[in-house]
Amino acid sequence: MPPRIRLRPRALCVRASHPASPIGATYASLATATTPAPPIEQTIRSTPPVLRYPPTQPPSHKPPEVRKTQLHRQYQSLLKSSPLILLFQHNNVKAVEWMAIRRELAIALQKLEDELAKQGREGTALAEQVKIQVIQTNIFASALRVVEFFQPEEGTMDHAQPPTDPRTPTSAQVPQTTNVPEDERFTHGLSRRAWEAASNRKLKLELEPLLSGPLAVVAFPTVSPQHLKTVLSILSPSPAFPAPKRRTNPDYHEPAVQSGLQKLMLLGARVEGKVFDTEGTRWVGGIEGGLDGLRAQLVHVLQGVGGGLASALEGASRSLYFTVEGRRMDMEEKEKGDKTE
Amino acid sequence: MITRFLTDVRVKFNPFSPRSKPARLFLSLIPPNARADGMKVETQMLPRTSKEPSTLGVKFKDGKEMNLDLDKMRITEVMEEVDRHSRLLARKEELTGN
Repeated sequence: MPPRIRLRPRALCVRASHPASPIGATYASLATATTPAPPIEQTIRSTPPVLRYPPTQPPSHKPPEVRKTQLHRQYQSLLKSSPLILLFQHNNVKAVEWMAIRRELAIALQKLEDELAKQGREGTALAEQVKIQVIQTNIFASALRVVEFFQPEEGTMDHAQPPTDPRTPTSAQVPQTTNVPEDERFTHGLSRRAWEAASNRKLKLELEPLLSGPLAVVAFPTVSPQHLKTVLSILSPSPAFPAPKRRTNPDYHEPAVQSGLQKLMLLGARVEGKVFDTEGTRWVGGIEGGLDGLRAQLVHVLQGVGGGLASALEGASRSLYFTVEGRRMDMEEKEKGDKTE
Repeated sequence: MITRFLTDVRVKFNPFSPRSKPARLFLSLIPPNARADGMKVETQMLPRTSKEPSTLGVKFKDGKEMNLDLDKMRITEVMEEVDRHSRLLARKEELTGN
């Protein structure tokens, strides 16, 4: 059956009653608009480079609008910006228990911050930044692979036109990257090159066996053993890091907190790129007096070394002095002897 | 997994060994209020360098003990082993009409 063509009788009538006049008709040759010639500056100079994408959103290998990609980006920045990360496994912790644990953690950290402020140290404001965060394990593992294995050797700006060139109309440096994710010059963590580096299965992460099952992380923006000690004493109390006593902190011994903590397990930590197990983490937390304490210890050791070195060097010169002096006395005596003879 | 009939769970594993995965997943399968309902869960974390195999010890309500070596098992196999006895207990409970 041929397709049915709908007839519009009224339209046919209109067309028939008014025949198109030759003056009203348009001709194709007349309709094409002539574009004006480009200004003379454009023809004698090269066009300035134009950024083809928003500067904060370089093209990404995976679709950027999905949650996975954004989580990946977020975890990368978390891993890059926090030198100390604690890894916990959480086994079916309820929402009420999470809330209670987070509250206790915040209170304990605030208390520590106040104490440090009383001692006259400048506030590090770590209390607001250290939080326990549940992560998507596999996305976190992938982000960690990117952070560990993708080291772009050169910046995108190396290809940029130098701003000192008088021909460039703007002093802003514009990277000459194209708007496709396959561009080799991208250095951000969501680029195709980053993905390729991370998907090399021959490279093994040290943290790989830990990254399975339900995980939560506590990230610290700086390595601060005092804060780590507080967090450990709240989240995984041990003889070295005792939990707060019932008398000092009755809220901590509420059933919601305690039942939640029973289900949290400290697995390990990543400290400045190195992986520590539970014992190692406790050791880091046990550094007395934090970084200042470590510096004091180092100064003490170096002072000891300096003293030893000074006495050693002094000893050589002193012995030389004694020999020369002895020789002088000896010669003087001989001279005296010569005179008497 | 049927966890109603478990009274005691003892898990020992080294988190840095790739063979510790079933042990950790078993822990994550225990329901949120099991500890409050009287199940005892003991977790022992081995240091990173230890080569000891990860083990799971389970006690049931009728007193049966089950010791599993998790090094060569997957989590599905572990669940099968535990469920085999749990199903037996469930059927017994059903027949006695409790």
